[in-house]
Amino acid sequence: MVLRIRLARFGNKHQPFYNIVVAQARSARGNKPLEVIGTYDPVPKTNNNVHDESASARPVKDVTLDQSRTKYWLGVGAQPSDSVWKLLSLGGLMKPKQKN
Amino acid sequence: MPPRIHNQRVTNTLLPYLSSTSTTASSPSISRLPSTSTAPNGSSRPFSTTPAPQSRKWRTDMFQWLAKEGSELKSHVPGRTNYLTRLKERRARGEEGANSKAALTHPFPLNPYFSAENILSEELRNEIHARVTGRNKKSVRAVSVELGVDMRRVAAVVRLVELEKRMKSQNKQLALPYARAVHEMVPTTPLHKENRRAHESINDLPVHKLTNAQIFHPIPESRHFTRADAGRVFSAAPAQDLATAAATAADPTAAVDRATQQPGRIERVGKGEFETQVLQPAEARIPHPHLVALERYRLAHSEEPRESNKYYRTRLLEQERLEGEQRAQAAAREEQSTNKVAPAASRFEFRFRDVEFSEETVGHDGRGSIAPGRRYGVPSEDRKKGQVKIPTSVVV
Repeated sequence: MVLRIRLARFGNKHQPFYNIVVAQARSARGNKPLEVIGTYDPVPKTNNNVHDESASARPVKDVTLDQSRTKYWLGVGAQPSDSVWKLLSLGGLMKPKQKN
Repeated sequence: MPPRIHNQRVTNTLLPYLSSTSTTASSPSISRLPSTSTAPNGSSRPFSTTPAPQSRKWRTDMFQWLAKEGSELKSHVPGRTNYLTRLKERRARGEEGANSKAALTHPFPLNPYFSAENILSEELRNEIHARVTGRNKKSVRAVSVELGVDMRRVAAVVRLVELEKRMKSQNKQLALPYARAVHEMVPTTPLHKENRRAHESINDLPVHKLTNAQIFHPIPESRHFTRADAGRVFSAAPAQDLATAAATAADPTAAVDRATQQPGRIERVGKGEFETQVLQPAEARIPHPHLVALERYRLAHSEEPRESNKYYRTRLLEQERLEGEQRAQAAAREEQSTNKVAPAASRFEFRFRDVEFSEETVGHDGRGSIAPGRRYGVPSEDRKKGQVKIPTSVVV
């Protein structure tokens, strides 16, 4: 069976929040995964603190990731879903997916 | 099912008979009951046995009160509070009562235990902002001690004045008449240049939940039991050895400094999720522990006030330097563990932070509380009653 690295939705209505999980490809989204290797918060946060000079000009999206576990699962053949592929390529763990 | 209400008049042949008996009955107990009060014939509810609603009477009374006694409160005297208690005090004790302290400080006449606190006057608030952000900047801690204002309030004042300045620069409308009226009606703390008057108590000890327990802890009379020992008992830590206790007793200021300057090094007790810091003595947990150190120094060197001032300033500067260093270190650590990516094709910045999926974080059953991600099999309580989702405290 194929292992997938994919997103599992948490959060409430209009407040999505995702766990980045390693799970069997044919299991349901809400099932208990093999591992939770990170999170992805798709709601961008703007910094309103005028005193914070280090604040980013762009709205920020937070991703947490266990790099070593991700590399391990990719090494044993786990397939990232498209959205996770994008995140992993941003994080420098994979090459961006070729568009056909 | 809601109760069915019949609006039409009751035409029971028995009712006139019943009502006539009730009026002729000479029992005083019945005639006193509000339900049997006989309404005049023109009333809209002649046969009703339910008590007449009091609300109409209350409303009439209210308007009467507003027109007579309460009319005095309609407009305020600038610089004086406009509380209901004044009317009550005047009724009880005459003009003397109306000008008493209680009448000016107690807004609720039925609650003598609540007295309204002063708010910051406009000048004091501007002075706080000027001292914190002005040319020779002072720390929030120093300004708090100088003006007798809580550190959290000082921080809030700085934030709000900055916000006000920003709104002014954006030509936004300010609610100035409202602010003026409020400042006229509530007690304010003025800015005294010479004789310093504290706005509030700044060194209050916060109640730690560990200290709520009532513990019966017998100790031998010969033992020297200090606040530090009490903290260890409260947090169920083993008693400290004699050498440490003796060192602490010899130099209490150094012991407090260790706790306040290196909070990460405070001893920890408990296992796993329940690991906590050992409860520190009160002099380390108060907001301004350096004031205690200053007082100790003053007592020891009572004839050198200038020296004690110098001692205070040096310690304050040292504390600020250490705090700044720790902040910088924390920021550097954060920066190092965060990978910031700003792709050209996106409007957003992605921040990748490292987490760890391991036996230590996830636990043997996969339900550890410090595991990455939202937890499975643990109900989310965020829709439950009483969950507070807005910030309730200010981090200074």
